[in-house]
Parts: sequence; C-alpha cells; structure tokens
Amino acid sequence: MPYLGGEETVRELRRALSNPHIQTDHLRYRNTIHRVIRLMSQGVDVSGLFSEMVKACATGDIVQKKLVYVFLCSYASVNPELSLLVINTLRKDCSDPNPMVRSLALRNMCNLRLPGLCEYVEQPLTAGLKDKAACVRRVAVLGWAKIHALLPNTEIDAAVVNELYGLLRDPDPVVMVNCLRALEEILEEEGGVAINKPIAHHLLNRLKECDVWGQSEVLSVLQRYRPRSEDELFDILSLLDPALLSHHVPIMAATLRLFLSLCSMLPAVCVSALERARGPLLAAAGSSSRELRYAALCHIQLLLRSEPGLMGEHYKRFYCGYAEPPYIKQSKIQVLVELVNDDNVAVVLDELKGYCTDVNTETSQAAINAIGSIGRSYDDRCLGILTGLLELKQEHITSAVLQTLRDLVWVSPQYGDAVCSALEKWEDQLQDTQGRGALLWLLGVYGDRLSGAPYILEDFIDGVRSEVSAEVKTELLTATLRVFLSRPAETQDMMGRLLQHCIEEELDMCVRDQALLYYRLLHCGIEDVRRVLQCGRRSDLSLGPLIGRPPEPISQWASIFNTLEPLMLGASSLNMLSFPCTRVWFLKTLCLFVVIFQAYVMCPVPRCSPESLQVALQLVNIQTLAFTAPNKLPWKISILFLSRNQKMFGQKCILRIKINQQPEHPHCCKTNTHILITPC
Amino acid sequence: MIHSLFLVNSSGDIFLEKHWKSVVSRSVCDYFFEAQERASEPENVPPVIPTPHHYLISVLRHRIYFVAVIQSEVPPLFVIEFLHRVVDTFQDYFGVCTEAAIKDNVVVVYELLEEMLDNGFPLATESNILKELIKPPTILRTVVNTITGSTNVGEQLPTGQLSVVPWRRTGVKYTNNEAYFDVVEEIDAIIDKSGSTITAEIQGVIDACVKLTGMPDLTLSFMNPRLLDDVSFHPCVRFKRWEAERILSFIPPDGNFRLLSYHVSSQNLVAIPVYVKHNITFREGSSQGRFELTLGPKQTMGKGVEAVLVNSQLPRGVLNTNLNPSQGTYTFDPVTKLLTWDVGKINPQKLPSLKGSMSLQAGASKPDENPTINIQFKIQQSALSGLKVNRLDMYGEKYKPFKGIKYMTKAGKFQVRT
Repeated sequence: MPYLGGEETVRELRRALSNPHIQTDHLRYRNTIHRVIRLMSQGVDVSGLFSEMVKACATGDIVQKKLVYVFLCSYASVNPELSLLVINTLRKDCSDPNPMVRSLALRNMCNLRLPGLCEYVEQPLTAGLKDKAACVRRVAVLGWAKIHALLPNTEIDAAVVNELYGLLRDPDPVVMVNCLRALEEILEEEGGVAINKPIAHHLLNRLKECDVWGQSEVLSVLQRYRPRSEDELFDILSLLDPALLSHHVPIMAATLRLFLSLCSMLPAVCVSALERARGPLLAAAGSSSRELRYAALCHIQLLLRSEPGLMGEHYKRFYCGYAEPPYIKQSKIQVLVELVNDDNVAVVLDELKGYCTDVNTETSQAAINAIGSIGRSYDDRCLGILTGLLELKQEHITSAVLQTLRDLVWVSPQYGDAVCSALEKWEDQLQDTQGRGALLWLLGVYGDRLSGAPYILEDFIDGVRSEVSAEVKTELLTATLRVFLSRPAETQDMMGRLLQHCIEEELDMCVRDQALLYYRLLHCGIEDVRRVLQCGRRSDLSLGPLIGRPPEPISQWASIFNTLEPLMLGASSLNMLSFPCTRVWFLKTLCLFVVIFQAYVMCPVPRCSPESLQVALQLVNIQTLAFTAPNKLPWKISILFLSRNQKMFGQKCILRIKINQQPEHPHCCKTNTHILITPC
Repeated sequence: MIHSLFLVNSSGDIFLEKHWKSVVSRSVCDYFFEAQERASEPENVPPVIPTPHHYLISVLRHRIYFVAVIQSEVPPLFVIEFLHRVVDTFQDYFGVCTEAAIKDNVVVVYELLEEMLDNGFPLATESNILKELIKPPTILRTVVNTITGSTNVGEQLPTGQLSVVPWRRTGVKYTNNEAYFDVVEEIDAIIDKSGSTITAEIQGVIDACVKLTGMPDLTLSFMNPRLLDDVSFHPCVRFKRWEAERILSFIPPDGNFRLLSYHVSSQNLVAIPVYVKHNITFREGSSQGRFELTLGPKQTMGKGVEAVLVNSQLPRGVLNTNLNPSQGTYTFDPVTKLLTWDVGKINPQKLPSLKGSMSLQAGASKPDENPTINIQFKIQQSALSGLKVNRLDMYGEKYKPFKGIKYMTKAGKFQVRT
C-alpha cells in the first residue's frame, strides 16, 4: 500500500543495502534489513527492494535469512520473475548440513505461494520426506499440503500419498500429526485420511506423545473410525477415559465428542461420559478467559438439551458476575432457566430479579423473558416479580415485561386476573414498537375486564396518523375490534374513525387489507365477528406441555458438539428477541405447526410424501388445497383447517405454509418456515 | 486451520497481520469493526463472528484483540486456547503484552508467529522449546548483540524433542537442584446484602518450578487429598496411581509448569476470609447519599489479609463523593463513576473504614440499584481450602534436591452486593 514519505526512506535503504561497506559489515547489514522489515510491518511499500533483498538471502547468518524470508514471502507475489532467483539460493540451502537451515529453506520455498515455482519445489520436498532430521520432515510433510492448495487441480502423485501414509509411523509425533493434517487436506475430496484398524490403533497408542494441539486433532480424525467389535470399542474407551478429565479444555471437548460418536448406540455410556466431563466443563465455564467461558456455556446448553438434570445442583455456578460482558450473562441466564427445579426456583427467581435492572438493555430483557418462561411451569411468584418491575417505569423494562406477560397468559390463561390488575392503573407512554404491540394485544383480550381499556385505545387511535409501524397498526385494529365486542357503546365511534383512516388513508397494504377484512366482517353481523375474533382469546391448556421441550436424544446434537455451531446457536437465540413478527403470532403458528406435524405425521415435513400427509391431515378434518411437488424448495402447502374444538382460529381457516429450506434439525423449522393463517 | 491473525487495538486499527495459508484481505476485519462499534464496552464484542466466507474468532487481552480468521469448521475451544497461548508467549517474551511492546519487537513477533504455526497448524508452542529457538530479547542481550554481533536465535536445534518423555528434554544439568511448588487458591464469591454467601468457590492451582538434573521421578502426597475431587492434571501425572492411592507421581517437565488445577465448591467448605459492613443509602428527593463501608477479617486462620483493594461502580446519578478513609487512599472518577479504595493491610484491632457522603444529581430520581463492591486481597502462607502437602520424595537420581512449598490465597471475582 502506498505510503507518503516512504519513497525517500526506501531509496536510502536501497543505497545502504547495495553499499559494499555495509555488505561486508555483518552487523550493519543485518540492522539495515531489520529496518526494512520494520517499515514493512508499518505498511510502507518496500517491494522495490526485492532484488537487493534477494542478494541478502545468500548468507550464513540464520537470523538474516529468517528476516529476508519474511520479506520475500510477503512480496513474492508482486515480483514473480525475480522470485525465480531466490529459488536457487533456497534449493542450495536445502542441502545445507544444518537441519535448521534446511527446514527454514523448505518451509519458505512453499510459503512463496507462486504456482509457477512448484516444479522447482517438488524435488527438495520429496528429499525432505526422507531427511534424517525430524524438523525437516515436519516441514516437508506440510509442504505437500501447501503445494496441493496452490495447484488444486493437479493430482498429487500417488507415490507421495503413499509415502505420507508411511510417515504416519514416523518416530517423531509432530511428523505423525502433520502427516494427518496434510493427508486430510490433500485427500479432502475423498473424505480425508482413510482410517483402518491398524492406523486407528497406532494413533491411539501414540496419542500420549503428541502435544495438546496434536492430540485434539488426532481425536477429531479418529471420529471416522468405527470399531469392529464391542470389545475393541471398550478398549478404546478405557484408553480415552482419563482424557475426559484433562485440564486442557480443547482436549476434553474433543474426547467427549469422540466418546459421543463412538457410543452413539450406547446411550448409557454417553450419559456417564457426560457426567465425567461435567467437572472440567464447569471449570471451563468459570475460567478466567471470557471467550473460553462463553464457548463452554454454549456447549453446556447443548448438553442440557438432553440431560436437563446434569448440572442441577451446580446452578449457582451460573450466577452472573457484575462485570461480565452481556453475551456471557445472556447465555448464563438461558442456562439458569434450564436448571430450575422445585427446590431452587425461589432462589433462582431472586437472582434473576436482580438481573432485570441490568445496565445493558438486552441482558435485562433476557432476564425478564427468563422469568416469564419459568412462570409457565412454576408458581405465580414470577407474576409478582414481573408486575413489580412495571413500577420502575423504565421504558425498556416495561416493554419487555409486557411482551413476556403476553406470552405468558397465552400459555397459562389462569394468570389473566393478575395481569388485569397490573394493567388496571396503566398510564404510561411507550415508544417501543414491540412493547406497544404487546400492550394492545393484552388490551384486546382483556378489554372487558379493564375499565380503562377504551381510553388507552383512544389515545392510540388519535395518534394513528403519526404511527409508523404497521405491526402496531394491525394489533390496534384487532384490539379495537375485540374491545368493541365487549363494550360497543364506548368503542363504536373510535372504531369507525380507525377503520376509516386505515381504509382510506393508509399506505401499507397489509394494514389496509386487514381493515377491509374487518369492515366486511362487521357487515356479516356481530355473531360472525365474535366467532372469528374471540375464539382465539383463550388458549388450550393442553398445549402447555408442548412449550416445554422434552429431552432430546444425545445423537441429535452430538455431531455439532465442539464445532462452531453451538456458538452460533447462542447468537441466533439472542436474535430471537427481535424476531420480526410478534411472539404470540409466532407461538400460535408454531404450536399449530407442532400439533399438526408432530402429533399426526410424526416426522418432519419434507421427508414424508405429500400424499400421505394429505391422508393424515384428512383424519383431523384438514383438507389439503394445494401443494408443490416434493423435494422442491421453497416447498409450499395450502390447507383448509376445519376445527371441531374451535379453540384455535375459529371453525375454518386457510393455512399457507411455506418452507424455504430443507430443515436439518426440526428446530430449524422455526426460522425458515412461513405460515400465513387467514380466518374464513 | 487458522488462516490469518490480525492484531487490532481498542481504537480499531490493525497494527499487525500475519498470514499462514493465503493472504486474506484486511477488509474481512470490517465485520469485526462493526461488532466493535455496536459494543458499548470493549469486552462486549462477541468472541465468534460469522462472515460470508470466514469466521472471526477473537480474544481480548491487554486491550488488544487477537482476531483469528478461520475458513473451515474448527473446534472453537481449540482456537481460543491457542490465541491465549500466543498472548501468554508474548507476555513471557516481552514482559508486557502491549501494543507498544509488540511494535518495538515486531521482528521477534514475526519470528515467533512463524514458529508457532505452520500452514495454520500449531507447531511449537511450549515456551521452553520456543526459547531455545528464539531467545527472548532482554536489555542486556540487545546491548551484547550489538557489540558482538551474536544473534537472538539459537543456532542449534532444540534438544530433547525426541526424548522418551515428550515434556522433558534429556541431559538437563543444574548445579543447584531445586523444586518449588506454589499452591495458589483464588476465591470467587458473591455475598448478598445481609452478608450471607450466595455462591462461593475456590479455584486452586499448584504451579511448580522444577530445576532438577537428569530424569527425576517425583511423588507428592497430601495430608487431605479428599478435598480434591474435581481435579485436572498436567499430562505428566500418572493418573492410575492417583485414582488408586491419591498420590501424585510424575516425571516433571523442566522449568515452570502447572502441575494440577482443582476446584472446591461445596459451600460449607469455603470459608469467607473477609466481611464487609456497608450502609449505602440514597434518599428520595434529597441530593445527598450516605456511604459507609467497613472491612474486617474473618476465618483467616490467624494470617493477615494484605493488598486489599476495593472498587465499586457507583450509579450514574452520583456526581461526586466526599469520603474519609481511616487508612489507605481512595479515588473517585466522576466520569466513569468508579470508586477505588486502596486499603493495604487489614489491622484486626483497628478495622479500616470509608465513610462520608455522595452528592447526587439534583432533581433526578433515586438510583434503582445499589452498587456492587468488588474486593481484591491476598493472604500469604495459607490455602483457604485447607489443602496441605504432606511430603515430596524423589526417586531415580542420587543427589538431594532443595524443596520448597508456598501457599497463597487470592481473591478472584469477589463481589459484595449492597
């Protein structure tokens, strides 16, 4: 990159480098090169000195060589022709008696990253594989992987691959691990190194000799090996057992992953492996490195998906420290929710209550959400805490509390009265879109019990012109209509104003369509309106257990353990808080989805044929109207839902479901499924 | 595995980059900078950031982000641990790991990174092997080097990499044979308003510095090994022997290493060594608040509590404080609202206290939350869990080594809620 003022310095350095006096003075020569490297690291373009540096390469001084190589490797791609000159020196160095020089030359020859020079490199690399010094062999082995990366289209000679397989038995453990790494890269298209019984046992026996990094790589390669007999399996397991307690977290995690994949048929062994690894995992979750702590927490969340009782008694280790970054606090809160049981619910709630007033708004919202989800299965103390938080009159807290209350009463309608009494004295102004949406929903559902509901609605309707969010407007329409059903006298006038505004002046099509729909619905008569709108107000109590997840089998997540995915899952569940459609809507459709597809079809959608789906759905009075051919994405289906119990969406409604991607895990359905429900 | 490494300072400048596999353009860090801008505090940047073609895994240490660029699936714990190792190595070499130190020693940094990774795979990360390859810069050596023209690179290959015991080189020789063990315990605790313990746990380590000639075989036994139920060992410890006899038997690595780390968390076992009496109140409608804090020792087994440092993040509404410490010095930063009180040693006869008033923003409502108080302290000559080494024996060599064991307790994350 060009750098002003660098030119003069570069010219001066060039003079110095080609000055014979300096060249003969060992020390001054090296110091000049030192300066070049320093400038290079500051971003000055010193590529002009390439030919001078090539000359400096021919020296017996190892430091000088190293420095020159650093320079050459950075600028070789700019000067491919001149780099040809270096090759000669490098090849000469490859036959130097000092193994350090040999390995250095070999490594940098591959690091020049010039595909044109590969033909010159292959011969010294082949010689390097047979070198008597281990450090040269280490470099040579990886050198083949580098060549392969440079020339991805040319086949690496089969003889070389064989040689590399042979070097797996090299006395030096680093050469062995490097061979594995190189073969993994070279044979990537064939699925990596072939692990047969002799190789697997050889690797297992030498595991102890490797350094920590090597161990964790050998362990991950071994995953592809399947033992032939149960005896062999248990021999391997007992060999690996001590590593589950390693204080080196990467090794512990790699071992645990290997355990889980080896024992996928033996769930009892998996569980005991998880129990054994609990100590080190907990220690990692309390480690002094933030990043390690976060990674460990994400993995603990995975474990809890199948073994909710695993960490039960250790819940206090997931209490948040004051100065921890929000991403750690939020994953700790998520873990705490999983660990709640009858004995500790009071203590955990007290602790979570403290987090609700956290400085970071996302953390406090996560804590409020957590209290709400505990409230679904535990006592009404949660409700007391939530309503208490409303009195703080902090915008973000109030908004989060309202959203949580909405989700809570939808699942547990018995809390309705308490929510009503909390909302009775409502007089705040909310700015937050989602909070307002939640408030409107609650007003609509409990309009008959809240004396102030029409007045709050009136404020909203008066301000509808300045309202920007379509979501709030649609919620407002529904809420107004619902309140109208129970208190027509107070609401009729403002409902008229609202409908008029939405039909005549509104620019957003969704809002306008909904207003038109309601307008026509009102024409059909009040009974129809009541049937359509008020049926959804009370949810089915039997849906409760569907919200709480049953423990998953370990194999569900074993394949993603110790990969980047759990850390990403953690991040995406944070985004759930800002999910674009309202949570109730989401919950409703999800429940329906779960009811239909899990209870009656028992397998994720794209795997069964649409015909069988059709038959299955007919059994529960669901008519399939249309669907796309199987194995086509996005996959769409429209169904007519005739409900006998009328609890969900009225007697009839059309459901349009669109699945954008093949879900790999059932829980992914949430994010890439679109469901549109139209009452009719 | 690790494609490239970028070093980013807290103001968002890349001041060093190193590529192993292929050159990844600096622009990949834009995703990182975005996350950095969103984060209110430097430590709030999430450790893993996905970008369309890469993953960025970062650790923050000494206010420098070490950002690794990853192109394919890797175990994240592996990368995080490796980055920490890089930082530890820098610290080991330069004494401090700051932007200035790295820039000053940029040549050594390049050499180190070149040795630590090849083609993205960790190569030599053990500090004693690295130090044989590249000698750490010292002032004396820099002077000597400039005069004699000798270098800070070992001309010889590191010996002992091929010894039967991979963690120990062969042919070690010392004139003074000595083995020192430090038992260091850190107590993490959260104490609630009324002074009762919410959580308390002890993270302990035994660090060793062994300088013994030849191939010694050591055994270490404890008075009360039952305390250690949640332990992890250095690979040199013979695990079978520990399971059977509760004795640590091992051939030690040469030099400094961590022999084992352990964890004590059952609450009744953890004695809290200090107590805090506090009275922090804000009155509604008044612009004054009261602040009183007294510290005292408790269950310290007769050992003094030293190097006590108290700090607390006061609520945003506090404008200034007017406090009077009975000992030590205190500072309050009106911008960050951070109160720091350097107490020093606690004298059980005359307990240190900090009393006075806080002035609050006029007209603002009273803060919802009382501040949390963080305390740091040290107790020499004592391990809080009560762990005691019984004896240390050496087999396999003829000489008599000098042995020493030191105990120390420190506060880790020790918080008092008020």
